[in-house]
Amino acid sequence: MRSPESPWTWLLRKEWRELISSWAWWVLVFLMGPLVGVSFISAVSTYAEASGWGGTAGGVGEAFSPLVGIWAPTFSACEIAAAFLLPFVAIRVVSGDRQSGALKLEIQHPMSAFARIGAKAVVLLAAWLLALGAPAIAMALWRSYGGTLYWPELATVLAGHMLNAGLTIALAVAAASLAEHPSTAAILTLAITVGTWIISFVAAVHGGFWERAVDYTPTAMVAQFQHGLVRWDVVLTALTLIVAGLTLGGIWTRLGVAVRRRIAESLALGALTVAVILACRLAHPSWDTSENRMNSFSPADEQALRQIRKPLEIEAHLAPEDPRRVDLEHRVFSKLRRIMPTAEISYVYATSIGLFEQSNPHYGEIWYRLNGRSLMSRATTEEAVLATIYELAGLKQPEESAEEVFCGHPLAVPPRGAAVVFYLVWPGLVVIFGFGLHWRKV
Amino acid sequence: METKILASVSGMTKRYGRITAIHDVGFTIRSGEILGVIGPNGAGKTTLLECTAGVQAADPGEVAFGASRTCRHSRSAVLFYVPDGIAPWPNQSVRWAMDFMLGFFGGRRDLYAEVARDLNLDPLMRKAVGALSKGQRKRVLLAIALLAPQPVILIDEPFEGLDLRQSRELEGTLRKQVSAGRTLVLSIHQIADAARICDRFVLLNSGELVAEGTLEELREAASSRQGHAPAQDFEEIFLALT
Repeated sequence: MRSPESPWTWLLRKEWRELISSWAWWVLVFLMGPLVGVSFISAVSTYAEASGWGGTAGGVGEAFSPLVGIWAPTFSACEIAAAFLLPFVAIRVVSGDRQSGALKLEIQHPMSAFARIGAKAVVLLAAWLLALGAPAIAMALWRSYGGTLYWPELATVLAGHMLNAGLTIALAVAAASLAEHPSTAAILTLAITVGTWIISFVAAVHGGFWERAVDYTPTAMVAQFQHGLVRWDVVLTALTLIVAGLTLGGIWTRLGVAVRRRIAESLALGALTVAVILACRLAHPSWDTSENRMNSFSPADEQALRQIRKPLEIEAHLAPEDPRRVDLEHRVFSKLRRIMPTAEISYVYATSIGLFEQSNPHYGEIWYRLNGRSLMSRATTEEAVLATIYELAGLKQPEESAEEVFCGHPLAVPPRGAAVVFYLVWPGLVVIFGFGLHWRKV
Repeated sequence: METKILASVSGMTKRYGRITAIHDVGFTIRSGEILGVIGPNGAGKTTLLECTAGVQAADPGEVAFGASRTCRHSRSAVLFYVPDGIAPWPNQSVRWAMDFMLGFFGGRRDLYAEVARDLNLDPLMRKAVGALSKGQRKRVLLAIALLAPQPVILIDEPFEGLDLRQSRELEGTLRKQVSAGRTLVLSIHQIADAARICDRFVLLNSGELVAEGTLEELREAASSRQGHAPAQDFEEIFLALT
C-alpha cells in the first residue's frame, strides 16, 4: 500500500525535522530575540526622547514616522541575522545530506533535483518566518505603548526581509551544493556577501555604473523596502537571483550527472540569469507604501511632472562623495526617476570626493535641459529642483495642500517590558523548546 | 537453469582526474540471483556499484535493461543502491528513517515487520541513526535496502561491521528475499562471505574486470589460466585469477 502523502510532502517533513533538530537554527532563533530587542529598545527610547520624553523639547517628533524611527532600526537586526546566521542554517540543511550520505539515497528517487532543493528552500523560508516572530512581538509591544502601525509599510518591510532571506538561502544553497565541505560553502557565502558590500563602497567612491548596480545588492534592496519603497525591477531581479541560486543548487546536487555537463548547465544558467536581470531593469513601476510618502513628491507635484512629455535631461557636476550629490540623489532624483522614468540624469566629475574640483568654476552646477531650452542651478533641495523644472517646462508650481503634509506620530513612551521580553522570555522559551525537542530525539 | 538477464552493464569506466578507478567493466545481472562483486580493497567495487546505480556519473558506461539503454530515471525504477559507511538522517530515529523509506520512496510496506524482525531492529527503533554503532547502522541500512520498491538492490559491503552470528543471519535474510523474487548485487571484499552467499561473481582487480561467472565457471577459468588441476577453494581461485 502506498503512502497517502506525496513524496514531496515526505521530503518537506524530512527537511523540517532535520532543520529543527539542528542547533544552528535554534541558535539563530535564540539570538533573534536579543538582536531585535536591543534595536527596538534603542529605537523606542530615541523616538520617545525626540517626542518630548525626559525633558526634551516637545513637538520635535511631529514629523516622525514609525517606519523610519522604529521599524527600520528594529528590522535591521533581521538583516544582521540574515547575513551572518541564516547562511549557516541553510548550508547545514544542504551539506548535512551530503555529509551523512542521505543525498546518495535521495537522488535515487526520480523526483527532479529542483523539487528537492525547492523543499529545502520552502522549509528554510518557513523557518525564517518563525524567526521573524521577534519583530512581530516588537510590533505588538509598540501597539501596547499606544504606537500606530501602518500596515502597508510594515508589509513592505516584511516582504523585503523575506526577499533578502530568499537571496541568502539561494546563495547558501548554491554554495553548499558546489562545495564538498560546509566550511568551504560558508566561506564562499560570506565572501559573496562581503563582495556586495564592496560594490556599495566602490559605488560611493566611483559612482557611474556601480551607483546603478548597487541598487540590486541585498543591503540596498533591504534599505529600499525599509523605507517603504517597492521597485518592480528590484523585486524581479531578486526573484531571478533566488531562482538562479536554487537552480544552481539543484544542478550541483545531481551527483549522477557528469561534471562537464553540470558546468555547461551552470554557464547557461548564468547567461540566462544575466539576460533576465538586464530585462528586469526595463520594469519601471514602483510603489511608495510609506505613510509619509518619503519616496515621492507631493501628489500635486507628481501630477504636474506627469504633464511633461518631452525628455528631461539633467547634468550635475558633482563628485560621488560630495554630500550635496548624496542629498540630491536620495532626496530628489530617486523620486524624480520614479515619476519620470525617461528622465536622463548624469553626473560629471573628475575625482571621487570633489574636494579638489572646487576651483573649477563649473563644479556644483546642475544643468537642466528640456525641449531645446536649458537652465542652470546650484540648488540641491527638492523645492529648488522642482521649481527649475517647472520654469523650464513653463508650468506653474502647484500649491502645497496642508492636508497632504504628514504630521507624524510622536510617542513619548519608554520601552516598558521590552527588555524582559527580548532578553529573558524569548531566549528562555527558545531554550525550553530547543532542548525539549532535542531530548525527545525529535 | 538459464535465468533471464535483467540488466547488462557495459563499458563502465570512471576516472578521478588521472586515476582510473574502473576501466571498461561489463557484466550482467540475472533475475533472482545474488551477484557478488568481489575484489581486494581499491579494486573499484564501490565505484562500479555507484556508476551502475547512477549515483555517480560514469565516463563512459551504459546500463541496459533488455534491449534499451537507460536514462537515470528508468534506472532508478529498477535499481536501488545502498552505500557503505553512511548514516543518513542522523538526527532521526530508526523508525522514522524506515517510515521515510516507505513514504518517500514508496517502499515495501508489506515487508516492514518482517525486515525489522529479521534484522533485529525493534530494540533500535527509538534510537537516532547517528547514535548507532557501526553494526547497528549497517542493519538499518540493510533494512532501508530491503524495503526499497525496486526489484534489484545493490548493497555495498553488506557484512561490514556485523559479527559472525549476524552475518550468518543476514545470509538467511538475503536468501529469503531472493526466493521472494528479489535480485541482489553485493559488493564484498571478504572472499569467504562471498563464497557462501553469492550465486555468481564479478571479479575485479585494479579497476579491471578479471572474470564473471558461477563458482564452477571461475574454477575452469582459473585452471585454464594456470594449466593444472582446478583449485577447490574460492580463495585459491580468486588468487589464481587476480
